Amino acid sequence: MSDDGTQGLRRRNRGVATMLGGLVVGMVGLAFASVPLYRLFCDVTGFGGTPRVGLAGSSSGISDREIEVRFDSNVAAGLPWVFEAELRSVRVRLGEEVEAHYRVRNLSKTKTIGTSTFNVSPNSAGPHFVKVQCFCFTEQTLQPGEEAILPVRFYVEPEIGSDRDARDITAVTLSYTFFPAKTGAAAPAASAVAALGAK
Amino acid sequence: MAYAASHDAHDDHGHHPSGWRRWVYSTNHKDIGTMYMVVSMLSAVLGGGLSWLIRLELAEPGIQFITDFQFYNVMVSAHGLIMVFFVVMPALIGGFGNWFLPLMIGTPDMAFPRMNNVSFWLLVAALILLVLSGIVGSGVGTGWTVYPPLSNIEYHPGPSVDFAILSLHLAGASSVLGAMNFITTILNMRAPGMTLHRMPLFVWAMLITAFLLLLAIPVLAGALTMLLTDRNFGTAFFKTGQGGDPILWQHLFWFFGHPEVYIMILPGFGIVSQIVSTFSRKPIFGYLGMVYAMVSIGFVGFVVWAHHMFSVGLTSSTRAYFVVATMVIAVPTGIKIFSWIATMWGGSISFKTPMLWAIGFIFLFVVGGVTGVVLANAAIAVSVHDTYYVVAHFHYVLSLGAVFSIFAGFYYWIGKMSGRQYPEKLGQLHFWTSFVGVNLLFFPQHFLGVQGMPRRIPDYPDAFTGWNMVSSFGALVTALSTVLFFYVVYRTLTSGEKCAANPWGEGASTLEWTVPSPAPFHTHEVMPKIGSQPAE
Repeated sequence: MSDDGTQGLRRRNRGVATMLGGLVVGMVGLAFASVPLYRLFCDVTGFGGTPRVGLAGSSSGISDREIEVRFDSNVAAGLPWVFEAELRSVRVRLGEEVEAHYRVRNLSKTKTIGTSTFNVSPNSAGPHFVKVQCFCFTEQTLQPGEEAILPVRFYVEPEIGSDRDARDITAVTLSYTFFPAKTGAAAPAASAVAALGAK
Repeated sequence: MAYAASHDAHDDHGHHPSGWRRWVYSTNHKDIGTMYMVVSMLSAVLGGGLSWLIRLELAEPGIQFITDFQFYNVMVSAHGLIMVFFVVMPALIGGFGNWFLPLMIGTPDMAFPRMNNVSFWLLVAALILLVLSGIVGSGVGTGWTVYPPLSNIEYHPGPSVDFAILSLHLAGASSVLGAMNFITTILNMRAPGMTLHRMPLFVWAMLITAFLLLLAIPVLAGALTMLLTDRNFGTAFFKTGQGGDPILWQHLFWFFGHPEVYIMILPGFGIVSQIVSTFSRKPIFGYLGMVYAMVSIGFVGFVVWAHHMFSVGLTSSTRAYFVVATMVIAVPTGIKIFSWIATMWGGSISFKTPMLWAIGFIFLFVVGGVTGVVLANAAIAVSVHDTYYVVAHFHYVLSLGAVFSIFAGFYYWIGKMSGRQYPEKLGQLHFWTSFVGVNLLFFPQHFLGVQGMPRRIPDYPDAFTGWNMVSSFGALVTALSTVLFFYVVYRTLTSGEKCAANPWGEGASTLEWTVPSPAPFHTHEVMPKIGSQPAE
């Protein structure tokens, strides 16, 4: 093989390798981009039981059909709080906006900050469960021994009756888990909501 | 013959390093291929040894000798990781790929020989890190899938999981560099006249495998990095408490993990195609169909990942999609199976050892493929989720499918690699003992799985005693058969007959059979000219 040929081959080899390297870098980028994309996807579609955040009042009116909404509350290890719903469940009409209350109390002798994650079950109810206002959008600060009532306003969209995956659902469980908040760092859920609210 | 071999094209004398430098500094595709094979064999002893300990524990109900259950988890996890990343991949891709890809396309070496050396030594470093992960701290008891929250720092404190993550990072980097090397070599350095559609099927298999590696491994690397920062630097990609989601790990892992299983089996498809054609003395039936079946398996392999996640709460329409997409893969796979059978049909078949392994591969892969179609159904998958049915399924396609293709390739090419032919009788004995052993070992696990025996648990109710005993007995037969294999290797290397350039006759029409055996240090220094016949 002539020297010219060898040089040409080397150049072409480097060209192909550079393109393939670009492909690898691009795939690593996509892997990391999947994190915000996945969160956006869940928020927009209600995938995996992510309740939607919306404005007051269902746009499709109030239907006669009723559905049971159950309330679940949990506290993660490391947070000395008692956290419970005032009612175990309520029956609501589809499209009707309802306010429910949770009660939370700090058992410790120090000021503590908590933030909660939220989810609805079954997952397929997520796209139809709309929160208008929720304590879970912000961090909660409790003084030693302080007790607070935390409100949540929500409605279930009447479209749940025409969704193939969700029309048979008769009860939806709204679940919260309080975690110790990292001071200074806004909870990701809270910041996502803040971004939504700013629009 | 279509290929004109020139006498000056190959050179075994002078100007190559000797002693330890020949191996440690090696940039020669054959030496690097040999080193990959050696690493694979050593890892196989380690990973296989772990699986025999597992079968020993499971031979009878109750706890036999494992008092530390985390240690059982560590054994299960290490067995999986070692077999996937350090046995099957190094043998099929690093070993046979490095050895025969340049020989088959008529080029002197890989496009980036120095990078080839880096790929190999990264793999050795990765293996050392993985072994260290089992020695320090509690070990990695997460399974090979490393799902959070189990792999989070709360449940796996200590450095073990971090060692494993870094090990997989290095193994991944090794594979990505190797894949870039393979693709560049195939695209730019084929002998004159060898168009893409005249490449042997093994080369096609390696090309597709390399692309799968390039697209899948970076996603694993990204996910592993997120897990590493979750564990050590306070991020919360997979921690629910801070807004993360462990299901995201499963999506990322399986976006890598599913193509990974095709990465392990496609080179086997290539090897089996060469062997079936050689020993039937016929060109492969439906060459283009075979090529594009592999291309479509590779493509569809990227859009079916969530069939590993049917029990995490996907909606029924999502599951319906993944069920259908998964079943679609059976179509190109069926094309391959029927083309192999059609190649043998009417051929002048000689049942030499490599052919036995290849036919064994086809048979066992069909069994594993059929249980795969069963498992593709979401409702059934939820029912047998995490049971021995799943274990039986993926051992039929990997432990029996991929490993049989490795043995097939070994017997087919050992004459070319070592210059000495294996002892035929012992090779056939190895095949038959293995065939009986692995079927005894894995077939009863289907029954155990359907009855509900969970995986990754060191004990089981008395009702499962019978088939577990059979399975463990099969493990003993397989173990003895593997000892026989190492004896065959020893006999071949010390007293095997000298092997001719082409020991298989006219059926073996690819370029590696035009060079002397053992293949000299430098081959194809003058590129061969390829005639008009398609090379199969």
